[in-house]
Amino acid sequence: MVDLTQSFGISASGMKAQAMRLRHVAENVANVDTPGFRRKLTTFEAAAQGGDGMVRLGPDRLDPTDLPKIYAPGHPMAGADGYYAGSNVNIVVELADGREAQRSYEANLRMFDQSRQMARGLIDLLKR
Amino acid sequence: MFQQPEILATASALARHSSQRQSLVAENIANADTPGYRSRDLDDFAALFESGSGFDLRATRPSHRILAGGTAAPMRVIEAGGSMSPNGNDVSLEDEMLRAASIRQDHDLALAVYRASLGILRTSLGRV
Repeated sequence: MVDLTQSFGISASGMKAQAMRLRHVAENVANVDTPGFRRKLTTFEAAAQGGDGMVRLGPDRLDPTDLPKIYAPGHPMAGADGYYAGSNVNIVVELADGREAQRSYEANLRMFDQSRQMARGLIDLLKR
Repeated sequence: MFQQPEILATASALARHSSQRQSLVAENIANADTPGYRSRDLDDFAALFESGSGFDLRATRPSHRILAGGTAAPMRVIEAGGSMSPNGNDVSLEDEMLRAASIRQDHDLALAVYRASLGILRTSLGRV
């Protein structure tokens, strides 16, 4: 029973991490046309070395890829040569990342549900 | 006075084994995106049962007393990964789902055997 209650916490930490990742994807997609925007990268790390198996997000990092130069002389941010720096978000990459986050979230949710049902089965034994 | 029947001990050992496995699989799934994380699992219950060492309570101090049919299963954690991805993580969600299904089956089996044995005990005591 202790193991089952422990696995609730672990699955919940996984869901929380994947939800944050999905949030970063949403931020990146929303800013796909913002000049000078660098996409946010999501990093995962084990919460404690040799610890309880929980997962959490590491510090936010920005994608160091060069920003694309976009030619638009009439743009308010354009320089003397007519170019301005766009954002380095690639919408296809973001969509794939979002889909993967969703898949991992669902896997965690299923494990949470299964732990719950197993604990319920144990408690049902006492009802007789 | 009361010696726990062997079958109840075996059933509860299986239930304990599967809930510990559940906790490990939940950990694997939560860490499916953690760089460098290795997938872990427990030894097979059948192997543990046949080796016979798994269930015996060990008397490590003179004050310890061993009742017949006691259960304490020191289970071995093994590495159970699939193919390694570039970030050093070898968790495969499909494998984990398969494991989760077999855990569920083992746990249900253990609880069903336990419940049926309790029923037989009650009948032998003359209560229905």
